Amino acid sequence: MSANIQINVHHVTRLEGHGNIVVNIRNGTIEKCQWQVPEAPRFFEAMVRGRRWDDIQTIVSRICGICSITHSLASTKAVEDALGLQVSEQTDMLRILMHYSEQLQSHTLHVGYLVAPDLFGEKSVVPLVGKAPDAVKKIIKAHRIANQWSDLLAGRTTHPVTLTPGGMTKIPTAQELKDLQKTLKEAVPDLVAICEVVHSVANRMPAFERPTEYISLRQDNPPTYTFYHGDIVSSDGYGPVHIRDWESVANEYVSPQSTAKWCRWHRDSYAVGALARFNNNGHLLSPLGKKVADMFGLKKGCCNPFMNNVAQLAEAAHVVETSIELIDKLLTKGLKDEKVKVTPRAGRGSGCVEAPRGILFHTYEFNKKGECIAANICIPTNQNHANIQKDFEKFVPEYMHLGEEGLRHGMEMLVRSYDPCISCSTHMLNVTFVK
Amino acid sequence: MEKETIVIGLGNPLMADEGIGVVLIEQMETLAREGKIPGADRIQLYDGGTGGINLLHVLAGRRKAVLIDCARMGTEPGTIRRFTPDQVQTVKQLAHLSLHEVDILKVLDISRQLGECPEEVVFFGIEPLEIRQQMSLSALLETQIPCFLQTILREISLPADSS
Repeated sequence: MSANIQINVHHVTRLEGHGNIVVNIRNGTIEKCQWQVPEAPRFFEAMVRGRRWDDIQTIVSRICGICSITHSLASTKAVEDALGLQVSEQTDMLRILMHYSEQLQSHTLHVGYLVAPDLFGEKSVVPLVGKAPDAVKKIIKAHRIANQWSDLLAGRTTHPVTLTPGGMTKIPTAQELKDLQKTLKEAVPDLVAICEVVHSVANRMPAFERPTEYISLRQDNPPTYTFYHGDIVSSDGYGPVHIRDWESVANEYVSPQSTAKWCRWHRDSYAVGALARFNNNGHLLSPLGKKVADMFGLKKGCCNPFMNNVAQLAEAAHVVETSIELIDKLLTKGLKDEKVKVTPRAGRGSGCVEAPRGILFHTYEFNKKGECIAANICIPTNQNHANIQKDFEKFVPEYMHLGEEGLRHGMEMLVRSYDPCISCSTHMLNVTFVK
Repeated sequence: MEKETIVIGLGNPLMADEGIGVVLIEQMETLAREGKIPGADRIQLYDGGTGGINLLHVLAGRRKAVLIDCARMGTEPGTIRRFTPDQVQTVKQLAHLSLHEVDILKVLDISRQLGECPEEVVFFGIEPLEIRQQMSLSALLETQIPCFLQTILREISLPADSS
């Protein structure tokens, strides 16, 4: 056993973003083991106060460059709930199709650019391009398809411009949807190949388990592997809870080691994300999604956080296969230009969707002029912080025999497996001149 | 067929001067709509937001890319500086814990390795005064916008005709 270990991974890449791993082991005794998130509080909730109901989505889509479609959909649904707006079946299907594009975009990015380098023993995707060029090219191709898919449905890759409370401002043509469907069909063999490559090195994922409560949406009518509709459920058998009551699930609290709020429901912590969705809804995956899960031996009840990445791959296959069917439905019904008329009113509403990295909640309250007077947003990564801490507390004693370097790498992989959103609101350059 | 030149504005308009790249793209889009940017048909103006690695795909197949971003360069706030990737060294340290950490210089590395990087890449870094949650630029950067536009439009070989 390693007598003394000191780990201090400080994530100081941007102005406000940090996620620090701190471990002190002295004479074989763990004195400190912390996942610290000293991220400056963000004031997006304050920013939307005083803004009109139809400005909210544009503002909150900028909270995150990776999950901007998800934030847009959650906020649009919340505004619709507050204003009592119903959307058409066509709008519903087009939004779900848009949302699927972000799942593929984010999952391929995460597994390909962050997880694969770990499994191949590289520090980042940059050297991996030289080591496994075919695999990287397939990943980039899948990611590129997902971006083009977002462009078509959302009007652009990030920060959508086609959404409006009550409907859509622009819809694709039938021919554009047919072209997308063809592209998705052609993408299936590459997706399977990506899964096979990851599977070939999957034995490098630690066989670490910790019984965990998993929280996600569940849709019963019709039963669907849902990212968009439904109620909140727990893998411990609790729920369904209506999304308007999400605060009673998240139970946000302040931890001294974090300025981001932490969450818990029936245990000390809970997890959200692809593995949570799989554990609650895995039997509803598409055939290809199930095939991918089976390839890796992923089964409902899995409590190995590293398998979140496998669940992401299964979901990537699922969204492609399901979208091919969804496009058929849209084309069969025929696309119609639909007019939206909205009369502002006072009200409070909530919207919830599954971000690629887990369940996301938005709540807004409006006065009778339709101006926002209160907002509350709870992002998936905040819901995972306490769970990462609890994982650390079990992981460190089990893996400290690996020594400082091995333990540090294992803990970094563990954090990465949650696909966290840590400070994504700024990306500025920070450079020195060499010439 | 992709347009030969892409001008990408990066940043977050919810974070004061951090959003300068996006603000400048919006201004150029207005000028283009008004027909005040001759030759605009061969240029794509692109609000890159904070999409990070997504830029890999919009860079592919271009001859030239011009990237506009807020940059800490150790210069006076409001300074605009032109540089090429080989003239700078990033001082960002990525922990690779999150997809949300992005260094555009590393995105260019990947693009180069894939053989799809534009042959000419130019940055315009703009030194911020204020980075905080605020939906407008600092007064200092706001007043400099005409100067920033003139500098950038000169780069893409077009006269700044915003009279």
